[in-house]
Amino acid sequence: MFYPKLALTNLKKNGKTYIPYLLTCVLTVMMFYVMYAISKNTGLDQMQGGTTLKIILGWAVIVTGIFSVVFLFYTNSFLVKQRKKEFGLYQVLGMDKGNLTKMMAWESILTILVSIVLGLAAGILLGKLMFLILLKMMHFAVPLKFAVESDAMIGTIILFLIIFVITFIFNLFQVQTANPVELLHGGSQGEKEPKTKWLLALIGAATLGIGYYIAQTTDSPLAAIGKFFIAVILVIIGTYCLFTAGSIAFLKILKKNKKFYYQSRHFTSVSGMIYRMKQNAVGLANICIMSTIVLVLVSVSVSLYTGIEDALSTRFPTDLNIMIYDTSQENLDKADQIIKEETEKAGVGLENRVYYRAGAFTVIYDQKNSRVLLEENAAASYSTEDFLWMEIIPLSDYNRLEGTNETLDENEIFVQMPDSGVHSDTFRIENETYKVKKSISLKSEAKNGVSSAVEGMIVVMPDVQKIAELKQQYGYEGADKVTYSDSFNMSGKEEAKNTAVKAIEQRFTEEVAESYIEYKDAYRSEFFIIYGGFLFLGVFVGSLFLMATVLIIYYKQISEGYDDRSRYQIMQKVGMSKKEVRHSIKSQVLMVFFMPLIAAIIHVAFAFKTVTKLLAVMNLVNVHLFFLCTVGTVLIFAVFYAIVFTVTSKQYYKIVQ
Amino acid sequence: MSLLDVKNVKKIYTTRFGGSQVQALADVTFSVEPREYVAIMGESGSGKTTLLNILASLDKPTSGRVLLKGRDLSTIKDREMAAFRRQNLGFVFQDFNLLDTFSLEDNIYLPLVLAGKKYEEMKQCLNPIAQQLGITDLLKKFPYEVSGGQKQRAAVARALITKPQLILADEPTGALDSRASDDLMNLFNTINQNGQTILMVTHSVKAASSANRVMFIKDGQVFHQIYRGNQTNEEMYQKISAALAVLSTGGEQ
Repeated sequence: MFYPKLALTNLKKNGKTYIPYLLTCVLTVMMFYVMYAISKNTGLDQMQGGTTLKIILGWAVIVTGIFSVVFLFYTNSFLVKQRKKEFGLYQVLGMDKGNLTKMMAWESILTILVSIVLGLAAGILLGKLMFLILLKMMHFAVPLKFAVESDAMIGTIILFLIIFVITFIFNLFQVQTANPVELLHGGSQGEKEPKTKWLLALIGAATLGIGYYIAQTTDSPLAAIGKFFIAVILVIIGTYCLFTAGSIAFLKILKKNKKFYYQSRHFTSVSGMIYRMKQNAVGLANICIMSTIVLVLVSVSVSLYTGIEDALSTRFPTDLNIMIYDTSQENLDKADQIIKEETEKAGVGLENRVYYRAGAFTVIYDQKNSRVLLEENAAASYSTEDFLWMEIIPLSDYNRLEGTNETLDENEIFVQMPDSGVHSDTFRIENETYKVKKSISLKSEAKNGVSSAVEGMIVVMPDVQKIAELKQQYGYEGADKVTYSDSFNMSGKEEAKNTAVKAIEQRFTEEVAESYIEYKDAYRSEFFIIYGGFLFLGVFVGSLFLMATVLIIYYKQISEGYDDRSRYQIMQKVGMSKKEVRHSIKSQVLMVFFMPLIAAIIHVAFAFKTVTKLLAVMNLVNVHLFFLCTVGTVLIFAVFYAIVFTVTSKQYYKIVQ
Repeated sequence: MSLLDVKNVKKIYTTRFGGSQVQALADVTFSVEPREYVAIMGESGSGKTTLLNILASLDKPTSGRVLLKGRDLSTIKDREMAAFRRQNLGFVFQDFNLLDTFSLEDNIYLPLVLAGKKYEEMKQCLNPIAQQLGITDLLKKFPYEVSGGQKQRAAVARALITKPQLILADEPTGALDSRASDDLMNLFNTINQNGQTILMVTHSVKAASSANRVMFIKDGQVFHQIYRGNQTNEEMYQKISAALAVLSTGGEQ
């Protein structure tokens, strides 16, 4: 019974560092189990969009898993470093490596038992609550059962057993390879002043600059997806380089400026910071990047969720949208007849009705030559950034839509340019040149199919036959016909509207050839499931990262406190007053603490523009809403951060003084 | 007038809950004249370190007074204390107490920087001292790059640079080998001959034998004193050894 007892006393004695570690282990186990159990829930399969949700949750499980491995390993290495002296002492007192291994094994066993048992218990208790929150977020009314998922439980136990075994082996390795004298000295070996790595600092500045530049200059939402990724990678590289090399270069420059450096306020801070940065740069960069991820993830998911109605009306400008691919007059008449009959029968009115024939193309617009390339030709020759959406409308439909009585000769067209386009007198579609009779701006909303993600242009041609030919020649397979689109809102009671929609849908499938109906309300619940799932994921992963950030900061403060104590004692002996010591500590701690947060906020600010473009792809164009969500998230995060700061700096003062 | 006057200083430590009391200094009275070089000797637990802490104004006596140039240390306010210490006292420690984040040069500058001196001024102060101590070439190095003797010389330079009234040295040779100890003692003699008052606590007979006066402390009291007069270091050494022998065999004279 000797070793278990010894292990238990050890854990108790190191409570200051061990209790937060145990707490983290318990929380990570809990969160992993909850995520896993929810993703395994069979009830979710019943709901519409459940598959998408399960994919999202599957990702979350993987992210949480990877995160648990990295994070627990990281915190554990902190602990071992702290305890090196203790292990050295045991060896000096006569424990051989076998005894030490036994003792450490018992410590690990205790840690594993506590973490897994408490973690799973908390997971089972809180899992139900989290599941209910998820359902609530998704506006899902049907109550689903949340059972104890034995699969998830076994999976969790296996994962964490593996993690703990790996950390145990790592710890053993650390202690086994060192000799007792080294262990006794632990971290207190004289450290060299770091050299300035100018190249690395410059690379950091350059990558960060380029990353920011890309984020600022990306205009097209489709291009934003690819470029954002590049920008993120560049900014991450830049952050690591600048935190490690840039900060030291900056401090060295300060140090070179003798007038600045040799002032009592700067003297100790600057030189202290150089060493602090040497030890902590990577950790701080980690915190910075994690904070950025939390901020972006949470603000995006919150604004997507709160902007569901916005996104719905962007994606579906009208209640009902009908597309018909067989545009024979007979077919269209039939459609029109059904709509009129069924709305009348249900007693609802038709509003904002817009119907027209058109040929829709994805195109590349070559502004210099005032020419467009269509579909496959376009895809082959240019990057996604220059893609436009183009609709060609026959003159007769144009006149009806706009209530005009215009005429066009053959080879004459009207053009509505995209916002970025320039008017010219001639316009080429592939190899045919047309005369632009005039520029137009369509009053009616004839752009139901146009996604908000790409800019669009509209061309009016005299004859529908020509459009059909173009479509035939250049259109993608299966989409080589002129289409008829009919969209409208309905006025009246909700029930009546639903009846009308059902009836129209029913009769269209039976009577109208090649038709397709989109109904806004049908998508609402799906939006809620997807974006609700996304919000859940965002908040979940966000809180996981926040927890990690908090703990890393806590450990940093504690371990630094021990290092700094002797330094400040010397300064007091040499004639620094308590007040000056406190001031110096405060300014350094503040700087170290808030630098990652400030860097993260700058990152978020630069990412803002690109993220709005990405949100546009997901049909959220409300920049104002996103701005508010971002500011809110940043504020809440900053408050959390400040609380952690006050708590940990208290611990720090206690150690130093 | 004496530079330092210690009058009936008594120090009693009380354990935290007021349980038992330990008397560290019973009744210490002595004075140090300007330009004097005094060594204080005594066994572990005799109260040497307590005395030094009180002289350094790091600790307060339970009763009695300490006057530096006629000024009572107990009348100095807490917030002025650090500045007072900086201006009037120089410290040399057994374990050097150099900051490993500073180069030797910056370590030496530290008290001046804290006093708010300009860089040019500081540089002018440093040059002659560095030359005297033979560390001019080492100034840019960091503490972990130089030997113990060199570290201690840098620490002496740090103590000297403020031109203090009194240098307090706590076992300055304690962490040095015999060569480095001899060098340091020679250095102390030179500094003393240049007019610097030094008060040194030491265990080492050899170190003490270079002083003008050796004071023995036992059980919190000044027990015995030896003045150099015209004696050589060797003669001092003999006398100190004899005194220590008496001290350790009971000393009930």
